[in-house]
Amino acid sequence: MKSVLILLGLLVSAAHAQIGSPAPDFTLKSCDGKSVSLSDFKGRPVILEWTSRECPFVLKHYGTGNMQRLQKDAVARGAVWLAICSSGPGKPGHATPEDAARLCSETGSQATAYLLDEEGAVGKLYGAKRTPEMYVINKEGILAYHGAVDDRKSPDPADVEGAKNYVAAALDDVLAGKPVAVPSTEAYGCSIKYVR
Amino acid sequence: MPNFRILPRFLPALFVLISGGLHAQVFEGQQLVRASLVPSTKAVVPGQPFDVGLLLEMAPGWHSYWQYSGDAGLPTKIAWSLPEGFRAGPIQWPAPHLMIEPGDIWTYGYVDKVLLITTITPPDVLKPGATVPLLARASWLVCKEMCIPGSGEVRLDLPVSSASTPENAELFARFRSQIPSTAEPPFALDWKRTETGWQVSIAGLPPGEIAEIYPLPESDQAIGHPVAIGAGQFRVESASTFRGVLAVGNNGTRKAWIINSTKAAAASKTGTGLWLALFYGFLGGLILNLMPCVLPVISLKVFGFIRQAGEAPGKIFAHGLAFAAGIFAWFLGLAVVIIALKSGGTEVTWAFQFQNPWFNVVIGSLVFAFALNLFGVFEVVLPGHASTALESASSSSGLGGSFFQGVFATLLATPCTAPFLGTALGFAFSQSAGIILAMFAAVAFGMASPYLLLTARPGWMKFLPRPGAWMERLKQFMGFPLLATLVWILGIIGGQRGTDGIFWFLCFLLCLGLAGWIYGGFCGPLSKSRTRAIAIFLSIMIAGCGGWYFLGQKFADAGTEEAGDIAWVPFSAQKLVDLQAQGKSVFLDFTADWCITCKFNEKTAIDTPAVRGLLAEKRVVPMKADWTNANPEITAALKSFGRVGVPFYVIYPAGNPTSPIVLPELLTEAILTDALKKLP
Repeated sequence: MKSVLILLGLLVSAAHAQIGSPAPDFTLKSCDGKSVSLSDFKGRPVILEWTSRECPFVLKHYGTGNMQRLQKDAVARGAVWLAICSSGPGKPGHATPEDAARLCSETGSQATAYLLDEEGAVGKLYGAKRTPEMYVINKEGILAYHGAVDDRKSPDPADVEGAKNYVAAALDDVLAGKPVAVPSTEAYGCSIKYVR
Repeated sequence: MPNFRILPRFLPALFVLISGGLHAQVFEGQQLVRASLVPSTKAVVPGQPFDVGLLLEMAPGWHSYWQYSGDAGLPTKIAWSLPEGFRAGPIQWPAPHLMIEPGDIWTYGYVDKVLLITTITPPDVLKPGATVPLLARASWLVCKEMCIPGSGEVRLDLPVSSASTPENAELFARFRSQIPSTAEPPFALDWKRTETGWQVSIAGLPPGEIAEIYPLPESDQAIGHPVAIGAGQFRVESASTFRGVLAVGNNGTRKAWIINSTKAAAASKTGTGLWLALFYGFLGGLILNLMPCVLPVISLKVFGFIRQAGEAPGKIFAHGLAFAAGIFAWFLGLAVVIIALKSGGTEVTWAFQFQNPWFNVVIGSLVFAFALNLFGVFEVVLPGHASTALESASSSSGLGGSFFQGVFATLLATPCTAPFLGTALGFAFSQSAGIILAMFAAVAFGMASPYLLLTARPGWMKFLPRPGAWMERLKQFMGFPLLATLVWILGIIGGQRGTDGIFWFLCFLLCLGLAGWIYGGFCGPLSKSRTRAIAIFLSIMIAGCGGWYFLGQKFADAGTEEAGDIAWVPFSAQKLVDLQAQGKSVFLDFTADWCITCKFNEKTAIDTPAVRGLLAEKRVVPMKADWTNANPEITAALKSFGRVGVPFYVIYPAGNPTSPIVLPELLTEAILTDALKKLP
């Protein structure tokens, strides 16, 4: 039986990121107006977190401090954490450039950068459909993990405790230079509010 | 305390308990969802199952989700708290609706209102006159632009009685009719495998009614969107079989069925269109004229007609027609014989269709033999009697003579036409009488057409190609299209009996080829009768033994599973972890089809009664990591043990998952059984 990652690779069309292939490069503006590219972080593991301030599944992780803990830990170990919001203008989760700077600090995110993808191009490039949806890229720039944060598909904050955290496990493997034990899971969450 | 300040635009939803056990999910002053338990019966009768439904009434624009929510969302859940002795079944989900959001995000769920029906079975004994409290905690996700999770307690109290009458019949009927039935849908579904998934065509849909397909994937199965590509035609990406729901009808008349893709491989390939087949038949007949045993004869025959008829053009053409009629008679006679044979046999004997692997074996063998004939490996020799009888009949002059000459000429052409006729015969067996007649008529027409043309316009004979060595080359070349046919048949057999089936069939063809070479090399008219006898005996022996062993023994078993086979679980890292968490021992076999050592070990050390017994006794889960094709997950697993190749065997004992036992590459039954015996 083909493993899930090959199946996901089939579904996500050729232009999309696939596990085992190099993660496509992109450039986005961060919430404080700076331009950030994936290639800026060559040689370091990078975690991409698709997020939205209005999704209960995201808030489950932020409200309990789970996501911030993950972010802080990753950054402390030399990885890069990029939170990306692909909500289109006028849609839930979107921040106009004027609000962006103020709102960015309000989420309490400990990520390296909070990027705004209001056109949705990068989201579609990676085939992201939900928030939260996580991608872990290893030091060689290859996509090593794609999927959910953990194994409890619910918006209930009580489910964070005791859940198996796939991102932490993938990061451990990537930092140790080992292949990721569970490279692919089905992400759960609210749909990303693309503009088109 | 985390540094967390989020705009209070989103508050945890407020839940208001309304009397009667309802729940209202209110957000920013608006009631989004009203949840309640609705009974289908006025009272509970002891021992008699009854239906209860969770009714979700959603505000306009808000939707909840189906058992498979799609690209996003979360299915509704019901957790029952029932009195002693009561049991609740699973949710019976009505067929959902599709919601598409920008970014090609597809979700499946319900708008307005939905009744999620559950069957509750009461115990056989209940105190009469008592009240039964049915409590449930329902949790759901409603979304419009935003998503708000909701949950709450709903309650229903029913009296116990010895008899009962229905309640809320209309509501239950409306949603029950949309629950997918496990019966076959009243439409013909044609599944075709595509490169990345399935294409299904639904025939027989009532006009004006739309069909919708919703997927029901397994827990770790990745599935794409069922995209409509035409009326009643859908494409969906899926690496393995597709299971889902087909819903047909609008509003009040909506019905649904569970549908499954089947492994139909061959059925769709036959039937390229009758006219195309007839055209090919005609073309085939035409090409027959270029064969070495036919071409030189054409001009001779036509000159013969001219001599007979004198200079009268009309009479020449009449001879040509008679000759053509002779050709037709021969071919149509053959067709009639085939039809008679077909209808004479019982359904069982003549159940020769391409879906039957044995039919394909016979056709494939015939095609292979005919190709060898064209290549010149052996020649088909006509029996003497038939030729002499026809010779005398055709020597008479007149139109009757020309007619018999037509029959005779076709008979003489048999050594060259046999391969094509034989192939056509084989295919004809699977068609109806009308099609058989049409096919042979087309071939006859093709073969007769030069005569018709040339007798109508004798002057065109100068355009006839001159006989020469090229005819032999052409005859050999025609062997290749036949081999192409064989390749196609092998593909069908592969789908039916797997690569094992193809392998054993090819072994048989090898024997057949050798037999053909012996026959062709040593059975010519010039060889001594003793040599001929030995050669015929040898070729029959080789073909016969090959057929008996490779087809009768090996091919017959190919691709089918025997009871008692080891039930291998496909490897996935997640599955391994899950099994170990369940406290099971796992025997993990890393193997690949191209690894001979692996196959040898499997046959001698693993797939033995002793091992099978121990696996069952110790409740060890046999897991197979098939590395035949590139698989990063398996590569990673091998690397974690410091290996780069197969075979590799490891046993994970239950209760001690971190110290797996590694077995040697050259596995013997003794080593494996010893290791298995040591397990708890």
